[in-house]
Amino acid sequence: MEKQPIIEMKGIVKVYPDGTKALKGVDLTVYQGEILGLLGENGAGKTTLMKILFGMLHPTSGRILIRGKEVQFRSPSDAITHGIGMVHQHFTLVEVFDALHNIILGMEGHGLFSRIDVKKAREKLQKLMNDLNFQVPLDVPVEDLPVGVQQRIEILKMLFRDIDVLILDEPTAVLTPIEVEELFRVLRHLKEEGKTIIFISHKLNEVIELTDRVTVIRKGEVIGTVETKTATPQLLARMMVGRDVVLRIEKPPKEAGEPILKVENLSVKGDRGEKAVKSLSFEVRAGEIFGIAGVEGNGQTELIEAITGLRKPENGRVYLNNVDITGKGPRELYGLGMAHIPEDRTHMGLILEMTVTENALLGLQWKRDFQRWSGVINWRRARGHAKSLIEEFDISAPGTEAPVKSLSGGNQQKLIVAREVSKAPVLIVAAQPTRGVDVASTEYIRNYLVKLRNEGKAVLLVSADLDEVVQLSDRMGIIYEGEFMGVVKPEEVSTEEIGMMMGGIRYEEIRK
Amino acid sequence: MKKSGSEILESLNIKALIESLIAIFIGFLIGAIVLGAFGYDPLSAYYWLFQGALGSTYGIASTLRYATPIMLTALTFALGTRTGIFNIGAEGSFYFGAIAAVIFTNIWANMWFGLAMGMLLGALWALPAAALKVYRGVHEVISTIMLNWIGWFFVLWLIVGPYANPNDPNKTIRIPIEARLPNIGYGLSIAIIIAVIAAALTYFLLWHTTLGFSMRASGMNPKAARYGGMSPKKAVMWSFILGGLLSGLGGAMKIMGEGPTYAISQGGANIYGFGFDGIGVSLVGRNHPLGIILAALFFGMLRAGTALMQAEAQVPLEIIKVIQGIIVITVAIPGLYDLIKKVARRGAA
Repeated sequence: MEKQPIIEMKGIVKVYPDGTKALKGVDLTVYQGEILGLLGENGAGKTTLMKILFGMLHPTSGRILIRGKEVQFRSPSDAITHGIGMVHQHFTLVEVFDALHNIILGMEGHGLFSRIDVKKAREKLQKLMNDLNFQVPLDVPVEDLPVGVQQRIEILKMLFRDIDVLILDEPTAVLTPIEVEELFRVLRHLKEEGKTIIFISHKLNEVIELTDRVTVIRKGEVIGTVETKTATPQLLARMMVGRDVVLRIEKPPKEAGEPILKVENLSVKGDRGEKAVKSLSFEVRAGEIFGIAGVEGNGQTELIEAITGLRKPENGRVYLNNVDITGKGPRELYGLGMAHIPEDRTHMGLILEMTVTENALLGLQWKRDFQRWSGVINWRRARGHAKSLIEEFDISAPGTEAPVKSLSGGNQQKLIVAREVSKAPVLIVAAQPTRGVDVASTEYIRNYLVKLRNEGKAVLLVSADLDEVVQLSDRMGIIYEGEFMGVVKPEEVSTEEIGMMMGGIRYEEIRK
Repeated sequence: MKKSGSEILESLNIKALIESLIAIFIGFLIGAIVLGAFGYDPLSAYYWLFQGALGSTYGIASTLRYATPIMLTALTFALGTRTGIFNIGAEGSFYFGAIAAVIFTNIWANMWFGLAMGMLLGALWALPAAALKVYRGVHEVISTIMLNWIGWFFVLWLIVGPYANPNDPNKTIRIPIEARLPNIGYGLSIAIIIAVIAAALTYFLLWHTTLGFSMRASGMNPKAARYGGMSPKKAVMWSFILGGLLSGLGGAMKIMGEGPTYAISQGGANIYGFGFDGIGVSLVGRNHPLGIILAALFFGMLRAGTALMQAEAQVPLEIIKVIQGIIVITVAIPGLYDLIKKVARRGAA
């Protein structure tokens, strides 16, 4: 049977008001009943393209055809009427509502006193869930549900509106490996039911595992579309970044030296007073990358904040080079040789409205080198510093006086890494150092962390990207609810074993 | 140092300047329509406004004199917004600066002593709000408004009570002649020069010192500031203290620099409202010290032009106030818009 195109996008151009050309004439065809992967680096234009298809953005030019008929969407509700639904990277749920009310939200009718038939909605929803073998608790406020379940609610929200085409924007970014498997199962099931799925991702393995065809986008242009069967990770990576990417990191063996960071029985409370870190002990030695793997929200953030002086620990001690640094503030810690690449780039690592120079100076402002006289900043030196960071780390920035928000995510992250390394640290705490960063920058940053390790620095790496931790670490601890399920050498365990530890099973129990 | 001129302009932002100029034009335009609607000749009214404000040496002196106190209170507000707080306590600190000048120059008739004590009391009066904000999380708008009133009635009591002039009980005792600010001429004292220097120092503080860096960083992103080893709490403290100091200076100079009486007048009439006007000045000046100098001169001009507009163009005072209000609101809109956007974003984050 001839495949029927359900969606055709032709010559889509999107120019943002500030002149950025996000899409430069993109053609995209989606066939009925397939899973299409939309692969590209951050900022390639994947999300922009899909937001246009979903009616959230309007193309500067170009045509959209649904089942051969030209359409123009003024808003997402137009798209939904035509059977297109989208699940965003950031969820759009009302946190205090339960799943049921989140799902029917917006369908209450337009009359002032329209009644919502909750009972009928519940029945329909229950039937839908049964058909899909895909359950969510309907009566619990969504803020109390895990992220994976919240995502299912988003998907149900769309399916409830009888859509035929489901767009998913980086759906696996927030999920555990087990949740990813579950999601894939559901998506395959939806495909069998005749739904069409567009899967946005920059993760090669996932695209290969799940999709039927892959369209690769680079810098606002379609590079090509391939049948997934015939694709290899190398081929897709090359299409995505325009050159061969060494996805393996060169890491020569190295004997670790003296312990630099020592954490002893550290307990830390989370924002809601819960016990986030429970009497954790470990050390990071010179010339070693110690990785912490685990599903996000298992105490990593609190642990890092306690070590870097941003949160007061409840109990236990932290030593840096045998100096007790428990409860000391960031300023003192930087003086003692700590550098911190924070997990939250835009809210902590940088001040987006400030210039590149000002951001390059963040945390270094007291250094004698940058003071004209006590308390007065030497901006000439600071500019020179920024310039040298830009050159050394090959950061593409319009200039040292441009606001940092004008840099791409990858370049912002490189600026943070560059700045932290310029503190000449003995310990680098790197939290999610490559999250949301394009492939080329990721490669650069990972290799740089290895380089620091080879130079004899201690690196504490925390990442939700399991591949990253496994590839880079000399030793790794798998954290679950604030405790290590095991501290292992990555080459000595299988992915399955790591997955089990991330799910809360202790290493001793696995190896029994 | 050749580059510093362009640097200052960069921090001021050319776009903001052009927006403000367009806003001024629109403000005058709307004002003209209102004048026309009430049957007055807008051209003649505006002619006399500018004639009064800039047409004579006396007019210019008046413009500068009116500009002085609001320049300082605007700096207080700007220091606040740059640090991420909405400090409207300039009013209260202004009262205390004024009364401090009266009290302390009568203890030691020295100009510098009077100014210093004005600054000190102004800064002290900012402390409660600062401490409430930093240690108890009390919103500064609430605390400063309440403290403004507490300050107002306390100072009022001092005016009619202990420091009333026995020979002229409506007013306070006068600033001794030796302690008055030197007169440049046409009723203008050196206060304007001190105010401009204060603006320049504020600029220097914000953009060239480590403290200013941490104030601005805290204002834009307290989390990042803390990560950078700064203390947002300290930054907020300093913002209140230095802000109070500037308004205190404004209050002191208002009494020490303006004749003929060199005293606080009945019911505190000549010290009331400058803190509030300062908010408008700061918004028009985009919360930038150099923008504030220009904005204060603009406000001063509007006020100085009132007399001739009334006398020559026959526009009643009430209408003049309406026109001035319209112009000020129009001109403040771009700055207000920025501020609201900033607050909204912080709320969302």
